[in-house]
Amino acid sequence: MRQISLIDVAGGIAVVAVLALAPVFVASNYLTGVLTVCVIYGIWASSWDFMSGLTGRENFGHSLFIGAGAYTSGFMATIWFTNPWYSLPAAVVIAVIFSLIVGFPTLRLRGPYFALAMLSASAILQRLCLIFWEQTGGEEGLYGLDPLIRNPLHYYWFVLAVLVVTVIVLVLLAQSHWGLLLRAIRGDEATCQAAGINVTFYKIASLAISAAFAGLGGALYAHYQLQVSPPLFSVVVSITIIIMVYVGGIGSIYGAAIAAILLTLLTEMLRGFGEYRLWIYTLTLMLILFFLPNGLIAPLWRRMTERFR
Amino acid sequence: MLEILIYGAVSSAIYAMLAVGFTLIFGVARILNLAHGAFYALGAYAAYVFTSLLNLPLFIAAPLAVLLVAGFGVLMERFLVRPLRASQLAVLMITLAVSLAVEQALFITFGSEYRNVPSFVADKISIGGVDIGGQRLLALVAGILVLLTLWLFIQRTRLGAAILAVSQDPEAAQYMGIPTNRIFSIVMAISAGTAALAGVLVSPFLTVQPTMGLLPMVKAFAIVIVGGLGSIPGSIIASLILGYSETIVAYLVSTSWTELVSLVAVVITLMIRPSGILGRRAAF
Repeated sequence: MRQISLIDVAGGIAVVAVLALAPVFVASNYLTGVLTVCVIYGIWASSWDFMSGLTGRENFGHSLFIGAGAYTSGFMATIWFTNPWYSLPAAVVIAVIFSLIVGFPTLRLRGPYFALAMLSASAILQRLCLIFWEQTGGEEGLYGLDPLIRNPLHYYWFVLAVLVVTVIVLVLLAQSHWGLLLRAIRGDEATCQAAGINVTFYKIASLAISAAFAGLGGALYAHYQLQVSPPLFSVVVSITIIIMVYVGGIGSIYGAAIAAILLTLLTEMLRGFGEYRLWIYTLTLMLILFFLPNGLIAPLWRRMTERFR
Repeated sequence: MLEILIYGAVSSAIYAMLAVGFTLIFGVARILNLAHGAFYALGAYAAYVFTSLLNLPLFIAAPLAVLLVAGFGVLMERFLVRPLRASQLAVLMITLAVSLAVEQALFITFGSEYRNVPSFVADKISIGGVDIGGQRLLALVAGILVLLTLWLFIQRTRLGAAILAVSQDPEAAQYMGIPTNRIFSIVMAISAGTAALAGVLVSPFLTVQPTMGLLPMVKAFAIVIVGGLGSIPGSIIASLILGYSETIVAYLVSTSWTELVSLVAVVITLMIRPSGILGRRAAF
């Protein structure tokens, strides 16, 4: 495990500065909107990486927490007409509750079983969303959420600030005693248990933390789109996030966030390629799997900064 | 009642065809193949191309489609999966990438609209007052035949014994002179072929469309978890359980609830018996 050094902090500040200033120099609402989505994906990817990257339990149903958070906002805005700001903490609470409900039975599973259990859980929620269409709006979803902040640029900065806080909190946690334990669980769970570590508690708590940030990201997304719909729960969302983390370098958290931003930008720039877009995306994934099994962003940053340590 | 019995049998047979190939490649090569649904979709599209575009008769088109997809599966295993076999997640990701690529290729070539494949058997057959499409009945019969053949192949032939040996301990099998890699290729061909055959057989009565592979894939997953990853008898039992419970739910409640049956079955199984009905406790 590596400690955070001055160069990491400087690099982080530089990246955040570029992200914060980009829409000021290229004043376009379109770019601001795209960047907002990029940054929200960054929150989702880094939150996935905290639980799955550290403990090695690949969660194929992260969209469950994202959808739970987003729908919480949706319900609060369209049914109870509460102040939109209340929906952020509410989304966090609901996502954490979901993570506890799903986590207890599934987290004792290993390898593919956990991945598949999470995948099914998110698919069940998506299906329920369609079955109870009278309450959830079915395929259409819920419309007419209030924006948190009317000015798109200010909203973008707010979301970026949330991402920065997310990454800092998660990286610090990952560097702490906690993160060390989570990595140890990844290495050998039985030995950890034998050493008297309450493995279940750490796994559930890390899933809950991961879910909390995912739910928060979901609520931010809902208030950006001003609507929520069932695709938020879909496996596609979970898988996109996993690809992002893979490209960023599993277990690095900051790499996951940066990869998420870059890949979301890439998909947006490839829009001109129309139908071939997903192919380029898939090809990128295949190349990275073959030639960069440790991912791209985090290993690259480590190599670049080696000399300054 | 008889209706449920017959339609349940048809769904169970199709599910079993899908699930057996999926569990076989996992049991033998430890490959959790997320591209299994893509094989199924490719089978259906190959049948469409050979019959509707090239005007081949069905009895030539169907085996051709199955062979083509089996070959595709072998190539995928050889060049994409094998180099990455060391990491479970990398295998998951690469097969996922293949399934995305196939889906997108189908979308680019054929568009997103539904395609029609002619029926092998156009007539309706009446069994005890229940009308059932001949094509569905054919799928049932073919499913049973495929499973029987596969069982005989594995239990009775030398190659089958080699496959069993590799599934129990690949390293020991290799020391005994069994060419493990070739066995992986053969098993992948069988797995992709049965998935394609399921696709070919259902294509006349289901919608042929680029994303058609996703749902059967999730089903195959569900069945294999309920039955036990790697256990063929387990998959067959689970196919029957899911096929029938879905049919019953469709009759008693509504078709929109059927999707939930398999997912809930997965969750219950994982909670009560994580290794599935007949699965051995694997050390992951």
